[in-house]
Amino acid sequence: MGNRKPNAASTLAAFVVLCVTSLVLFTVYVKEGDSGPLHTVQLGAAEVLRPVRGLFGFATSPLSAASERVEGVLDASEVRALEEKALEYEEEAAEAARLRQENERLRALLDGEQASFTYSPLARVVAPVGGQLTRRVVINIGANDGIEPEQPVVVGNNTLVGRTTERVTPNTAEVLLINEQNFAAGVRIVPPLAPEDEPDEGSVPAPDLEGNSHGEGLLRTNWEGYLGVDYVDLSAEAEQGDFVITSGRAGERELLFPPGLLVGTIESVSSQDISQYKNIVATPAVKTDDLQEVRVILDR
Amino acid sequence: MLGGVQTHIARAALLVALAALLEVALSPLLTFGWVGPRFLIIGVVLAVTGLRDLQALLLGFFGGVLTDALSGGLFGVAAFGGVLAAAISLRIESARRKGETRLFVAQATVASVAVYDLIGLLAPLLAGQGGPSITGYLVGGMIPDVLLNTLLAYLASGFILKLITTKEERWT
Repeated sequence: MGNRKPNAASTLAAFVVLCVTSLVLFTVYVKEGDSGPLHTVQLGAAEVLRPVRGLFGFATSPLSAASERVEGVLDASEVRALEEKALEYEEEAAEAARLRQENERLRALLDGEQASFTYSPLARVVAPVGGQLTRRVVINIGANDGIEPEQPVVVGNNTLVGRTTERVTPNTAEVLLINEQNFAAGVRIVPPLAPEDEPDEGSVPAPDLEGNSHGEGLLRTNWEGYLGVDYVDLSAEAEQGDFVITSGRAGERELLFPPGLLVGTIESVSSQDISQYKNIVATPAVKTDDLQEVRVILDR
Repeated sequence: MLGGVQTHIARAALLVALAALLEVALSPLLTFGWVGPRFLIIGVVLAVTGLRDLQALLLGFFGGVLTDALSGGLFGVAAFGGVLAAAISLRIESARRKGETRLFVAQATVASVAVYDLIGLLAPLLAGQGGPSITGYLVGGMIPDVLLNTLLAYLASGFILKLITTKEERWT
């Protein structure tokens, strides 16, 4: 900053003042909570910026389409079709798991009423938002459609892809995706049904209804980008190929996500002598990079 | 000042505002992993070239504040990054020899993007949100990010500097 020597002191002072102001803004933002003035400014800006984001999203859509086409060429189309079919099966299997859980709960409560999910209208993913360390998107429905903070966001009927954040405007909502490091969900590991017990050949690999849960834990994405299930006890029987679904409850406490939403399947299970928990890596059921349309579970 | 030309403050401000908008709306669409264009930093580095020190610092700061307001990220991070990018550019510019504009822009972008990425790494940690390992981020994020943005700044600098500068009129 030294090419104008007469102003060097004032420039240095200005530099210090602006740096301190930036740090004060940062501190206020972190401490103020979601209804604070800086958060409100960002919320208003998100609403104003929606058309611009949509425009840029539209403008870059050929790029995304080309990228998908290249990916399609690299991957065999048969593999893609099989993946889609597998996803369909997994969804149905998770649905079966959810129904089983619901059934158990109903029996326990001796209550015939089962609240079914209420879904929002189909929402289009407008654009990704945030910095390089975040995985969030904006969808084109908001408070006017009944969206509230901290509601589950799914693809299809029950494949979990994220949850809404506090940034809900009348026409938009921000979604925290499952592969962001700040996302967490209580999950349960469910085994697939044994092949001989499957109703039809080639049908849904449904969970073993008579079998017990293969463990419960906390779904987290680590900073290396792996989706994992933490805090699964060493005695749990979790193994490769098991389904990961939301547990809905932690003891007596009801969790944010309803039970039975499919998250993915277990890719690997390992353990270390020094750790009291298993090291579990899961493959998400949906690639969040390819999200186009989602639904929000408004009520359960 | 760039030799016989002078940076137009209004155009520089417009450039930074546009860069902030691109940073918020376009950058997330072009980000792969931890690597993506840092339009704000490139905009600030180019805009402050030839401005007075105080003007440059204020431009960096308010460009960052605009980015913070529009982005939905941690407020103050882009403002701090903008101020530091402006300060780094001024410091490097003071040691620059005449006619090395593109080299200066490249040097300033290297340092500014590296600092901006570091701030982006440290801010979530300070806010209690956690963060990746520094080594992993350095190799997989910061270095490719710096290279990409330096290339972008180097390629765009000639055209953009023409847009924001005016020829200095001499009294005869």
